[in-house]
Amino acid sequence: MDRPDTASTCGIVLEHVHKEFPGGIVAVRDLSLTVEPGELVVLVGPSGSGKTTVLRMVAGLETVTAGQVRIAGRVVTGLSPRHRNVAMVFQNYALYAHMTVRANIGFALRMAGTPKREIHMRVNQAANILGITELLDRKPGQLSGGQRQRVAMGRAIVREPAAFLMDEPLSNLDAKLRVEMRAEITHVHRRIGAPTLYVTHDQTEAMTMGNRVAILRQGRLEQIGTPLELYERPVNVFVAGFIGSPAMNLLPARLDSSGDDWYATVGGCRIPILPPARVALWPFAGHDILLGLRPEDLVSTEDARDSEHGIIQATVARTESLGSELLVYLSLNSDVTSPPLTARLDRRTAVQQGTYTRIGVNLQRLYFFDPTSGAAIR
Amino acid sequence: MIRFPAAQLLRIVAIAAILLWSLAPIGLGVITSLSTQTDVQAVPARWLPHHATLDAYRSLLGGSGDFRAGGTVSESGAFTHALWNSASIMMLSTLAILCVAISAGYAFARLRFPGRGALFWAIVATTVVPVFTVVIALFGFLADAHLIDRKLGLVLVFVSTTTPLAMWLVHNHVKQLPTEPEEAALLDGCTRWQAFWHVALPQMRSGIAALSAIIVLLVWGEFLIPLLLTSTNASKPVTVFIPEYIGKYTTNYPLLAAAGVLAMLPPTVVALVLNRHIRGMLSGSS
Ligand SMILES: Nc1ncnc2c1ncn2[C@@H]1O[C@H](COP(=O)(O)OP(=O)(O)OP(=O)(O)O)[C@@H](O)[C@H]1O
Ligand SMILES: [Mg+2]
Repeated sequence: MDRPDTASTCGIVLEHVHKEFPGGIVAVRDLSLTVEPGELVVLVGPSGSGKTTVLRMVAGLETVTAGQVRIAGRVVTGLSPRHRNVAMVFQNYALYAHMTVRANIGFALRMAGTPKREIHMRVNQAANILGITELLDRKPGQLSGGQRQRVAMGRAIVREPAAFLMDEPLSNLDAKLRVEMRAEITHVHRRIGAPTLYVTHDQTEAMTMGNRVAILRQGRLEQIGTPLELYERPVNVFVAGFIGSPAMNLLPARLDSSGDDWYATVGGCRIPILPPARVALWPFAGHDILLGLRPEDLVSTEDARDSEHGIIQATVARTESLGSELLVYLSLNSDVTSPPLTARLDRRTAVQQGTYTRIGVNLQRLYFFDPTSGAAIR
Repeated sequence: MIRFPAAQLLRIVAIAAILLWSLAPIGLGVITSLSTQTDVQAVPARWLPHHATLDAYRSLLGGSGDFRAGGTVSESGAFTHALWNSASIMMLSTLAILCVAISAGYAFARLRFPGRGALFWAIVATTVVPVFTVVIALFGFLADAHLIDRKLGLVLVFVSTTTPLAMWLVHNHVKQLPTEPEEAALLDGCTRWQAFWHVALPQMRSGIAALSAIIVLLVWGEFLIPLLLTSTNASKPVTVFIPEYIGKYTTNYPLLAAAGVLAMLPPTVVALVLNRHIRGMLSGSS
């Protein structure tokens, strides 16, 4: 089974992995993904998109229907979990309720036949990193959510595994603790350096923790890239709508060109299209497209400069002040069925609910999509 | 609000009735066991004995019988031997049933293998077969194996009749336990068996305690099977032994009652000790 490999294929490698559950449910379709050593790849996607299934296949808790899984250059596709040297942090922590924290963390070492003295030392070390030294003699039932989370982490890092898997490890914590643990996990990951696959629902976690982010939809990998790449250059409507909060506005528009004048018509407003975008757009001239506008790329008209901004006129349906900024929900035209538009404006912007207002659109930051396939046009 | 006192009253009456129904015979038994034969047979009937005495217990446990009753029952130490028979049969059966039921129930709940569902329901289905319908065939089997009037024979029969039910209970219990700790154990380097032993089994502790109590009570109270499959003091458990105190012409009621009280003690103790777990299992919190 051991196969010496080049450094480039170390880490976690999935090649054309396919998973079909009994009953014909296809959870993962032809997934190829590499997590380099020292890298943390975040797996995001809607509920049921197959994130957990991917982790479980890497761990060996679920068989693969087709394809290959390699960890640290070794093919592990048919190996049982205990031969994979993988550590996993479960969403509900899955601590051993009848053992003390010390026994929980040291369990893997005990199973591996590590001498008692060394177990003791390494457990102390792991507990030290996570700041749970005083908890070592307690049972999991006597711990808070955050403390349990740390114990689960401790159980994973004490082993020096070849790969790290985490399935929504922070989803059971409150917002404040989540921020804290986010930083902590990133810190621990840098220190340990094992390739890590991290599953989350949370945008912020994905964007802040991942070296790269992989987006799954219905078992298919939609796009993988750095957080910035996904934000700047989403390959399709799905990724565009998934990354960024509030989500990108997607408006049906019509693309027209008359000579040197290119523009998209949205709800009666003309938005000029700058020359760099025109190359990719020319097949769509005279056709419908989807125009993507990020809420943070919209400005109030006072802030808009003529050369850089187009203007959209819309009715203010609702406003929400977040303190630091103002979310404005607009509707194009007065028509109720018209597409909604969310804008993230400066908190001092004065807008009145129900009024007709003008919103500036940053022309440098327009996204275009093919309305039939959803693919990005660029 | 007006109906509240009435409902309350009804509740109290119902509970009292249930208590009376289940406790009165026991109380009567205890009183009788402390009486003398004269007290018991007095006309008009006396509720309480004139001279409370432990004679009946003494003669049962001491085995220096000065009691008059028929046949083999009167052998010195016969009752304590019957108690021992019951206890050893109960312990052996419980242990064997637990071992088989826990491992089988766990396997059916957690492992995937072909024919799992069919096999499982086939085994569980045997619980609906009343024992008396197969008892003649059973007698034949045991006779061929020279296990009639042997404790081992009884143990084997109890194991085969009770295990399916126990296995079913274990299966349902395991089904509601989270799978993740066991999976974590597999990742921590355990084999399937080690994950069961180190992680699943400790999680099942209270379930197993409750199950043990149920099995003990079932096995201890068995009457029909030992009645048919035993013939001498060598293997008779108390359930079969006690009725033999009822003589054709005379019956030593205090002795009979004392034997009944003593026979009740072991299951009572088990039920009390494991009570907490049994309640936990019934309310699903274990
Ligand atoms: N053991 C199983 N048997 C049959 N189908 C399953 C099984 N486990 C998962 N599935 C199906 O596979 C698909 C992917 O499930 P998975 O749990 O991987 O999703 P997920 O992305 O982790 O979702 P969530 O975000 O809700 O945790 C779902 O449609 C699910 O119903
Ligand atoms: Mg999941």
